[in-house]
Amino acid sequence: MGKTRVLAAALVTALLATAGCGGPAPGGKGDDKEAGTIRLLTPIFEGTDGKKVLEEQLKAFKDSHPKVTVEVDYTSYSKLNEKLTTSIASGRPYDVMLMGVGWIPPFAAKGALTPLDEQKGELSQRFYERAVDPGVYDGKVYGLPIMLDTRFGLYRKDLFAEAGLSGPPRNFAELREYGRKLTKRDAGGKLTRAGLDILSNDLRQTFLPLLWANGGDLFTADGKPAFNSEAGVGALQFMTDVVRTDRSEDFGFTQPGVAGGPPLAQGRAAMMIGHNNVWQAIQETAPDLIKQDKIGFFMIANERPALFQGGTIGTVSAKSAHPAAAKALVTFLASEKTSLAANEQRGNVPALKSLATSEYVTGNKAVQFAMENMGSAYSEGGVPAWLEIRGDFKATIESALLGKKTPKQALDELAATAQSAIAKG
Amino acid sequence: MRSLPSRVLLHLLLAVGALAMVVPFVWMVLSSLKSHADIASYPPKLLPTEWVWSNYREALAYAPFGTYFRNSLLIALGHTVINVILASMAGYALARVPFRGRSVLFMGVLTMMMIPTYTKIVPQYLIAKGMPFFGGNDYLGRGGNGWLDSWWVLIVPGALTPFAIFLFRQFYLSLPVELEEAARIDGMGEFGIFARVMTPLVKPAVATVALITFENSWNNFLWPLLVTTRDDLRVIQVGLAVFQQAEKTEWAYLMAGSTLATVPMIVLFLLAQRYFVQGFATAGIK
Amino acid sequence: MTTTIDRVDVAPVTRAPRPPRRRRLGAERRRAAYLMLAPSVIHLVWWIGLPVLATFALAFTDYDVVAGTVRWVGLANFREIFADETWNLSIWHTVVYTFFTVPVAMAIAVVIAVLLNQRLRGRAWYRAAFFMPHITATVAIALVWMWMFEPNLGLFNLLLGEVGVNGPAWLADTTWAMPAVILVSVWKGIGLKMLIYLAALQNIPSELYEAADIDGASGPRRFFAITVPLLRPATFFVFVVSMIDAFQVFDQVYVLTPDGGPANSTTVMTYEIYRTAFSEFRISTACAQSLVLFAFLLVMTLISRRLTGRDDDA
Repeated sequence: MGKTRVLAAALVTALLATAGCGGPAPGGKGDDKEAGTIRLLTPIFEGTDGKKVLEEQLKAFKDSHPKVTVEVDYTSYSKLNEKLTTSIASGRPYDVMLMGVGWIPPFAAKGALTPLDEQKGELSQRFYERAVDPGVYDGKVYGLPIMLDTRFGLYRKDLFAEAGLSGPPRNFAELREYGRKLTKRDAGGKLTRAGLDILSNDLRQTFLPLLWANGGDLFTADGKPAFNSEAGVGALQFMTDVVRTDRSEDFGFTQPGVAGGPPLAQGRAAMMIGHNNVWQAIQETAPDLIKQDKIGFFMIANERPALFQGGTIGTVSAKSAHPAAAKALVTFLASEKTSLAANEQRGNVPALKSLATSEYVTGNKAVQFAMENMGSAYSEGGVPAWLEIRGDFKATIESALLGKKTPKQALDELAATAQSAIAKG
Repeated sequence: MRSLPSRVLLHLLLAVGALAMVVPFVWMVLSSLKSHADIASYPPKLLPTEWVWSNYREALAYAPFGTYFRNSLLIALGHTVINVILASMAGYALARVPFRGRSVLFMGVLTMMMIPTYTKIVPQYLIAKGMPFFGGNDYLGRGGNGWLDSWWVLIVPGALTPFAIFLFRQFYLSLPVELEEAARIDGMGEFGIFARVMTPLVKPAVATVALITFENSWNNFLWPLLVTTRDDLRVIQVGLAVFQQAEKTEWAYLMAGSTLATVPMIVLFLLAQRYFVQGFATAGIK
Repeated sequence: MTTTIDRVDVAPVTRAPRPPRRRRLGAERRRAAYLMLAPSVIHLVWWIGLPVLATFALAFTDYDVVAGTVRWVGLANFREIFADETWNLSIWHTVVYTFFTVPVAMAIAVVIAVLLNQRLRGRAWYRAAFFMPHITATVAIALVWMWMFEPNLGLFNLLLGEVGVNGPAWLADTTWAMPAVILVSVWKGIGLKMLIYLAALQNIPSELYEAADIDGASGPRRFFAITVPLLRPATFFVFVVSMIDAFQVFDQVYVLTPDGGPANSTTVMTYEIYRTAFSEFRISTACAQSLVLFAFLLVMTLISRRLTGRDDDA
């Protein structure tokens, strides 16, 4: 037995060594001068337009940091993981990596990131405090927010008026009641208008704001699952009630990313939980709705108001040969001018308080609404095992919506899986 | 040859089948000509209310498709030529020459297809990066970037497929043994028999491998994206992926781009399918 | 005529003891064969063999790709994956998917290949139509299908609505999602199989059919008595390749029913492998899952080789 083990271990080592990650690259010691060639991996700035935006910005960066050359690798969020994995495995990670919210703890805990020379307190002066949090792990700042993706409630003012409702719902009870009132079915029972659309948005990202609004938390302060608390079960019960009891939407009525865009724009839904760029989609497909001021927003609220906040965070690799230059680039990407350009290109929400009055933000009501409510923003993740846990939320929520499990059962099972992933470390 | 009613029936059957096969393409082309409002309209419309031909122009401006097209073409051509040559030789040897361990080697070729791409891709990336003497690497493949970001890595790793070896083997297997014996009596060597007697008889197989290799290579996306960081080395499918962003898909552009990417393949198929006519094998036997 | 069949069908290599001259010839031929095999073997070992070996080795380790550490863990990964309900479910889905896609698409393909092998007006266009699904990049065309399946905006329910049927939610319906995925895969799989059968049909001497015509054999009889047996090497090929493809199906499932489909009703092995490796960054667990997939395919291939009597082989 012992012999086979040694042999096998030797084989693995040999394979990895031949594969190129056995020997560390010579001269890998970082310098602290702002100079050298650094590589940037970005899932944003896609397409010709995005590239133009970034290159223009990088010209400005070159002017202020003449000794730093930036090589950009453009990818998309859908292939970001593969790019990150292969580059990290090969021992040649990118100097600057843009990641999503929830990624900092796993990567920082494993020593893949370098802390930035920033203090949370100081950053919270410039950025929204809630937007700074996802970049912080273990008290150190590892990433700066460049753009935020937010989720909140959207509703059709015209349909509300038609139904005699004067304003958006303020709590779960009103959400359900309004949803029932606004739902329409044809003679055959086929749903023609969902009163409350909770399926256009990624299910996890619909559940989480409900959880937070209901006073719950994703994890406890010491990193244990908390989403199966009473508040969490209540949030999933709410979703289940909307679909199964109120029948304000049928399971399968719509799903994220469908060709026609969100049903809200077509009047096939009266309210929805959605992304801030639904606004952009409506502007393209049904601009009249915006011109006639028919789209309104509301915070998802029950015990407290809650806004779901995801986003793109700039980080520096622990293996960067030019950490000072890389940090300078992250600071630059999160700076006023650059992040404004990035957000404008994608219709997203800036994390800098000073941009709240920019022309872009004042011209986009959804973004403006999100920025006004950043005080109630919550982020997913927080534990190093998050990437292993998050993928299971969808099936858990679906099993409740389909009536296969009770919300409590479903969440308890997920919490047990999550706990074992966390324990494994 | 056949009676008229049976011919009509046959055509009817084939036409219905063919129509069913192309429905999604019709949908694709129609959608590529729709405006944003049409795509989102409810109830849905089959035909565009306004035919937006500019979608094509705008889609092409969305990414540097000229470069991508050229790269895809070069890579696909490289893959096709190499695959046809190497795989036909290997397939011939496996089918026609008895040697010890042939069966095991053949099974070995098959097993190379049995691990999914996503599992192999990390080690393959590491091998590409660790190519000795390339891209600043030393003799142990350390220090530099190896083949990453080069034409080598785009062409070489994908240039030979076990699929092609397997296909050629099956086709060489079914050729009669008299042919090679006659050639041998004429004093022809093994390679001559392979190149001048047997391979001309499996032209349909050559056409099949060429077509499929070209098409797979044309549609490849993940590997070219992973091993390149420079935009000037990227391929057409990477360009098409740009239309599909995290929170929004540019449906009309995506459909327009996909239509454009499909057209060259259809032309290629129509050219290649001419080799699928009866007569090669029989001509040889006589 | 019958002799020709035998020659085509039966192993081309003589097994009788060979005279000395032939043995020398054998050595020469072997040398030539080794030379012809060498480039392919080197290429395959280097680019696929090593990664496959790495997969085998890593399956017994805990390789943390982010931290860059490797630890030997024996069979722990295998214990873990078989305790995972979703993984076991994905095995079942993969088997169901393969069971329905491979034979159906093969049967349709062989019939169409035979029909399109005769002289026929517009033959090239028919062939192109049946091959087109294979030509287009899977992701793009799967998105088109997703759109057509959309319950309220898609083609299917639009047509069903015309005849008064209230169609299901297809891809968002736990009952219909898998059949929908299978339908798309059959549609997409016919072209390649047809092409290989078409190529193989060219190797069947037309004299055989002419002789059968003289004997007055009917169409179906000719098909089963001549075509099917002579297509055996091609069928073995198509079966093995399709099975490997089906067991490794990913793109269309991923696009049509993202994240495992409604309540994991369409999750397949390759999707779980992908998710484990690239969403959860647990490479070695994904390697263990890949070995299970590998074992399935190896066993199926060996069985199908035995079933075809190995007469495809010398």
